[in-house]
Amino acid sequence: MSLINEARHTYLGHITRRHFLKSAGAGLGAMAFASLGTASAVAPSAPGPHFAPKAKRVIFLHMAGGPSQLELFDYKPDLARLDGQDCPESLLEGKRFAFIRGIPKMLGPQASFQQHGESGAWISNHLPHLGRVVDKIAFLKAMHTDEFNHAPAQLLVHSGSPRLGRPSMGSWVTYGLGSENENLPAFVVLLSGGVAPDAGASVYGSGFLPTVYQGVQCRTKGDPVLFLGDPDGVPRSLRRKTIDAINSINQQQHEEVGDPEILTRISQYEMAFRMQTSVPEAMDISREPSYIHELYGTEPGETAFSNNCLLARRLVERGVRFVQLFHWGWDSHGAGESESLDGGFLHRCRETDRPVTALLTDIDQRGLLEETLVIWGGEFGRTPMLENRSGSDNPYVGRDHHSDVYTMWMAGGGIQGGITHGETDEIGYSAVSGRVHVHDLQATILHLLGFDHERLTYPFQGRDFRLTDVHGHVVHKVLA
Amino acid sequence: MSRYWIGFTVLATAGILLGGCKRAPEISFNEQIRPVLNDRCVNCHGGIRRQGDLSLLFRHEALMTAESGEKAIVPFEPAESELLRRIAHTDPDLRMPKDDSALTPEEIQTFRSWIEQGAPWEDHWAYVTPERPPLPKVSNPDWIRDSLDYFVLARLDEMDWSPQSEADCPVLIRRVSLDLTGLPPSPADVNQICIAEDLSYEDYVDLLLSLPTYGERWASMWLDLARYADSQGYEKDLGRTIWRYRDWVIRAFNEDMPFDQFTIEQLAGDLLPGATESQLIATAFHRNTMTNTEGGTDDEEFRVAAVVDRVNTTWEVWQGTTFSCVQCHGHPYDPFTHREYFEFFAFFNSTADRDLDSEYPTLPFFEEEKSTEGSVLMSEITKLEDAILAQIRSDSLVALRRTWETTLNQPEVIGRVPLMKQNEVKRVVATPEKDRGDAQIWTLDHVYANLSDDPVITRLRSEKREKERAMHALNPIHTPIMQELPFQRRTHVLERGSFLLKGDRVAPDTPDVLPAMPEGAPRNRLGMAQWLVSDENPLTARVTANRFWEQIFGTGIVESLEDFGTQGLERSNADLLDYLAVSFMEDHDWSMKSFLRSVVLSATYRQSSHVTEEAIRMDPHNRNLARGPRFRLNAEKVRDQALQVSGLLSSKMYGPSVMPPQPEGLWKNPYDSRQWQTSEGDNRYRRAVYTYWRRTVPYPSMATFDSPSREVCMSRRIRTNTPLQALVTLNDPVFVEAAQALAKRMLRAEDSIAAGYTYAMGTSPAPEDMDVLSTLYTDAFAHYTENHEDSASLTGESGSIDLAALTIVANAILNLDQFLMKE
Repeated sequence: MSLINEARHTYLGHITRRHFLKSAGAGLGAMAFASLGTASAVAPSAPGPHFAPKAKRVIFLHMAGGPSQLELFDYKPDLARLDGQDCPESLLEGKRFAFIRGIPKMLGPQASFQQHGESGAWISNHLPHLGRVVDKIAFLKAMHTDEFNHAPAQLLVHSGSPRLGRPSMGSWVTYGLGSENENLPAFVVLLSGGVAPDAGASVYGSGFLPTVYQGVQCRTKGDPVLFLGDPDGVPRSLRRKTIDAINSINQQQHEEVGDPEILTRISQYEMAFRMQTSVPEAMDISREPSYIHELYGTEPGETAFSNNCLLARRLVERGVRFVQLFHWGWDSHGAGESESLDGGFLHRCRETDRPVTALLTDIDQRGLLEETLVIWGGEFGRTPMLENRSGSDNPYVGRDHHSDVYTMWMAGGGIQGGITHGETDEIGYSAVSGRVHVHDLQATILHLLGFDHERLTYPFQGRDFRLTDVHGHVVHKVLA
Repeated sequence: MSRYWIGFTVLATAGILLGGCKRAPEISFNEQIRPVLNDRCVNCHGGIRRQGDLSLLFRHEALMTAESGEKAIVPFEPAESELLRRIAHTDPDLRMPKDDSALTPEEIQTFRSWIEQGAPWEDHWAYVTPERPPLPKVSNPDWIRDSLDYFVLARLDEMDWSPQSEADCPVLIRRVSLDLTGLPPSPADVNQICIAEDLSYEDYVDLLLSLPTYGERWASMWLDLARYADSQGYEKDLGRTIWRYRDWVIRAFNEDMPFDQFTIEQLAGDLLPGATESQLIATAFHRNTMTNTEGGTDDEEFRVAAVVDRVNTTWEVWQGTTFSCVQCHGHPYDPFTHREYFEFFAFFNSTADRDLDSEYPTLPFFEEEKSTEGSVLMSEITKLEDAILAQIRSDSLVALRRTWETTLNQPEVIGRVPLMKQNEVKRVVATPEKDRGDAQIWTLDHVYANLSDDPVITRLRSEKREKERAMHALNPIHTPIMQELPFQRRTHVLERGSFLLKGDRVAPDTPDVLPAMPEGAPRNRLGMAQWLVSDENPLTARVTANRFWEQIFGTGIVESLEDFGTQGLERSNADLLDYLAVSFMEDHDWSMKSFLRSVVLSATYRQSSHVTEEAIRMDPHNRNLARGPRFRLNAEKVRDQALQVSGLLSSKMYGPSVMPPQPEGLWKNPYDSRQWQTSEGDNRYRRAVYTYWRRTVPYPSMATFDSPSREVCMSRRIRTNTPLQALVTLNDPVFVEAAQALAKRMLRAEDSIAAGYTYAMGTSPAPEDMDVLSTLYTDAFAHYTENHEDSASLTGESGSIDLAALTIVANAILNLDQFLMKE
């Protein structure tokens, strides 16, 4: 008995006579379904850019916790002279801090600085590598935000609102531009530093946008995405047939009940199938040449920021639209070793300096930097004052959260390298010129991606919402 | 959308036409003025910011003289009202709103007419006690099955729409079974009702309401609100034993405890006369706050944080109000003041818990044979505690104690005080003795009681320790509960919400915009709970009815379940909401089962969920209810249903939380070496409500299906539809095991493939579906015939080609849209 006949024979035992007769009439062979495949839309069609984009992809390196600009980029020799003195009360009036109580002392820079590159940008000794690529970078030294606690400030950076429920920037961008790779999620999230973002998955959630736009977290250990691997004993061919069967019945279901949610489900199953091959391939850095590992300082299989930087390159190379990295551990209060400028902060610098430099170098060499916007920064900066939590001194050296002024930088796609925009006062406490609000940064990012931030909207609850809410001005001075 | 647009145009046109007339139509503050104020003005002239010393939040404020010396609004006198002058000003520097687009001429005219009419202010609808609306006239009275249908049909009549026809019987049976019990019906149930017709729909609904699975399903909803979890939260996120509260919720639903009693027991069960053990466990509702055991944290700071969370949660759960804004400053747009926040805070500020690692106070629960011994020990310990306190307050120790206090600034003395208490002790000692509050004295007493060298205290302490050891040896299960202190802590307004910046002292009270507390109600948590469920409270019944509605229909009548304030979303059907609220209180006497029964018996509920493209376009979210609900099952149901239809689901109820399989290596907390210990036997297959819930590492398959972390109260789960969900139901070992088990059931059935489908959906497959599944079976069979080792690894049995092929089919069935959706 041929195989197919044997199968048919057993199959006879499992279906009713009525069904069999009907099936037999149609012919078993004729029932095979073509893959619904890529024909069905992965997502509702993208509105597309308003004008020609300079950048096609984004890598956002979020240094979660709020790195101190005063130990990295914002060189303040005058602050060193004030070290140990009481902070003048005039600086404290009407200000809110997360932890500072009473009169804190000033804290001089815990770093030495040197100028680098043709642009002569000041970089601290904690970032010995970054100087090599500094001419690709535009520094925003007078960033400011409305929030001084991590979760709301992170939400503000990524969703334009400090409260839960708005779509994140990656979701807006993938909604606006669609995907360049149907086999990978358009918006990928990579976490390192051992702790998830304070505001949880909402910082890469899709809010009220359709959920196809939410960020997908990929891991560097185990299944790169949970439950990605097929069960033992299920080969790819059979998985394909299973999904064909599911989708074909779902298609019939849609014809009957009309719910558009079913079409989304069909495309999500297709996406899941494609992800099963494309994600492991994209996430496997083991076959990268050794000079690349040397460049980034990567070890395959680790959960590390360096690996995530290399993965970011591999993902943008494959057309992933938005790669969001979070690296936790920059919250240098001084309340403990791990969160102090003389402890954890230095580790964070060491963990990130080489891979960030490598990432800029690598994607530049591959010709990707021109169309890839790289953004570095935290949710806020830190005070020029020493933190004195609850009125007493901390055991380690640290600074409190500071929302009025901090540094971020951008490079690549449409950004003018080797410049600094914005200036702070002699102690790095307030902006003197070139203030850039988080909403301005968002407006600029969208501009580089070809969007008028006021026109990239989505109707919800009777109002057209946008990433920048009712704010935001493009920072033209940093554009190439 | 188009409907609103037409409405707007008509209004606007009317405004222009009537602008020149002497008598403008009466302006509705709530509909025409407040939305503009909220949208365009209060950002700068409201609760937080009062630019130019002007606030437009309350009428009395709006009528005051502002910084400029002008009055923004002078009732009946448009010419003297600065607001009108400024919104119509031609100089862009003077024109309001500043740096923003101008109001439309129509809007300006509306303001003018409103001021001419005396600038009357109205309370926001949600703060006015609902009244039973009269039943409207409808086009087709025969359609009505429950009074609520009148309000739905009246809306459809207005729009000239008609309701959908009734859903097919098997679809309706599955819908109602999933809604009421969280589990699908058995094919036998469907058969009995839809084919044999020897059980009516009404009787089936009553049967479902009587099943113990009803309580398990509805507890899941409530536990999101209660932020119930098996861990303490924050960075370390250590374990917490509080599952007896979860069991209390399940029992309360199953016993149909009326919602008013359900409220009072959870908020103030400990204050009820002769509180029972069950009523004490109920108060664990507010012990689900997070506990911070991180080294160096200040216990007082996190005690205050827990009280803040209790206030915010109480307001979200019962009043649908985002009260958390008011913790730092006046509400930006709703009429609640900063002071009122702390007056309410005072209700919760006198409990004995204080962010201790031990979760004190707790209620120990002993195994039956140890319970006598246990209660004797408990009372002995209490006596010893009293004796210690009496001794340290005795005259003989006063002097010694003062000396001790003066030495507290020495490192070696303060060093003996537990780290997390040090700051608080320093603050107390720094306060002159006469100014110390009871709580401060109490704190110092307790610290001293543990450190004093007095021989009497030392002896009592060691006796107490001995008794505690003996009690510990009995292995009681401790559940954190609420316990009132013997005195009231002083409550102050906390400036900017900081526990260190104390402003005016305040007494417990409810906000003025809402009806006052019932006469004779005590000014404590009990009185506050009674106030929440009093007939006059305008919010509790509306908010609760709306929650149930959202669970059944997928979207609330007020979509923002958590915000009924002026920035919340407008009601889709105001009369329906008020009818449901009043009916819940009066007709159903707060019975949740009775209320739900009337909803699922309604014609509105029974409609088919089939939808046309045009209907989707007109009403994508079914706000007008011209069709039945169709949406994806929640995380719990997705799991429970797969286990149920495959025959794996355990019906075991209650007890400690269980750990069904999850991928290895997810629990990686640097401060906690505990591991996920996969449960064995029955406990692998318990309902999702019993799954161990660790706040920082939620059970992954459930998190993928949108279950929250439960760090804080969560009213709504936003439903998503992602490829990651497909990966869970295709590949998660839990779901693969369900497919294997379903395949075994199928193998035993006469008509395997059709039987598998029927187990899952309650109804037999359509011929086209059967064709597809048969083909899949044939293909799988062919593969496993050639690859025996694959069939062995999929099924765990050798020589099981048929079983392997059926497992593939079962896996597909468990992934069908129809299976994952409530239709």
